[in-house]
Amino acid sequence: MTRFTWASLFAVPVLAASSSAIAADYLTVAQAQHILVPQADAFAAFPVTLSPAQLTQIRQISGVPQRTAQPRVWRATSGGRLAGWVIVDEVIGKHEYITYATGISPDGHVLGVEILSYRESKGGQVRDVRWRSLFRGKTVRDKFKLNQDIPNISGATLSSRNITDGVKRLLAIHAVALAQVR
Amino acid sequence: MQTRCQPLLGTLVEITVPDAGAGAIDGAFAAIAQVQTRMSFHDEDSDLAMLRNAGPGEAVEVAPETLEVLGIALELHRNTNGLFDVTIGRELVRDGFLPQPEGPEASHCSGTSADIEIVDDRRVRCHEPMLIDLGGIAKGFAVDRAVAALEAAGVTEGLVNAGGDLRMFGARDWTVGLRDGDGKVRERIALADCAIASSANAGSSHRRQSRLFAPHFGAGRAPVAVPTRVSVIADRCVIADALTKVAIAAPASSQWIAASYGARILRESALEKAA
Repeated sequence: MTRFTWASLFAVPVLAASSSAIAADYLTVAQAQHILVPQADAFAAFPVTLSPAQLTQIRQISGVPQRTAQPRVWRATSGGRLAGWVIVDEVIGKHEYITYATGISPDGHVLGVEILSYRESKGGQVRDVRWRSLFRGKTVRDKFKLNQDIPNISGATLSSRNITDGVKRLLAIHAVALAQVR
Repeated sequence: MQTRCQPLLGTLVEITVPDAGAGAIDGAFAAIAQVQTRMSFHDEDSDLAMLRNAGPGEAVEVAPETLEVLGIALELHRNTNGLFDVTIGRELVRDGFLPQPEGPEASHCSGTSADIEIVDDRRVRCHEPMLIDLGGIAKGFAVDRAVAALEAAGVTEGLVNAGGDLRMFGARDWTVGLRDGDGKVRERIALADCAIASSANAGSSHRRQSRLFAPHFGAGRAPVAVPTRVSVIADRCVIADALTKVAIAAPASSQWIAASYGARILRESALEKAA
């Protein structure tokens, strides 16, 4: 019958900060790279500067605007041969700010998507540039502690629509800027 | 502990296991992806698409997972006097919560769950045109499948959270925050070896020309708006997930229905009183 145990049922007055903002850090960029392209033995940063024409193309292909001309791309190799690509990107929703990594095969298929970090706010500061850059800085330098107090939340479903659109955009980046690279 | 998070089932899915079990996470995500592939309303390659594109009375071979979910859904339909009904795709399409897919027009659908027949251990037959949507149950089922995959791989404890429908296993206590209808997390409870799911529709229900639009339906398949959260604790996440819909549809009778499944309903206001 009932197997669940009520270890305790307590209603702690949750700290103001956590009632208005939920945050989780899952993986570093390096961890995500190895998960997304497990056969690769090297990941080299691959500087890309998208031309205005390419940005237009990406929007046409994906239906989503590409905001930065310099996406964060890594070339994954195995024994020196191209094994795939990893692109780290972020999406900003109404209440959330998500950094995620997408693995793309040399022929342009999604190998996997891993969320790196998640920031949520009901207070509207998601669009606050200072708040976001603080978060982005953390992600880039990987200095923060991972897997500390990731909150387990039961409640209103969060849509992953923004990420789905983001992945379409990354596939378009691959098509216009990476597909010809060996 | 290690936690990974992927976009699946239209939401974010988190899997937490001890470091030693990290190698099993890929298999658990794959189990969830399989549920998504077979039971997506939107995917024209899904079992749901096959069922709605088949002629009435035609037996359709579906994945074992789909068969199992439909079996649980039909039992819930009987045990709730028809309140839990996966043929609600008709209303969800009519009211704009789901897109009209290929197959029967929502306005031409007449079937209820009573018109779904599980023929044998592989096949399902719909006797009337219908739009089956498993949005009220498949997420919880996917969580159970992921937990089963982790346990089969020898993982002794962990937590799987699919956008707020979550299950934990092993001896450890987990702290779970309950997100209220307004999006805030005011209460946290400690749980072990059970599942919890929550529903609210404050963000998605609205009125237009005095008619209510909401993604939950009660008696007579009428839309129901609930400003506050409803949570259900059960041993399996598929039951917790499905019973949140019953708890919204029929607040009074849902208590004893939940009890018959060994589950408990926690309402936002009830918890405040408990505090």
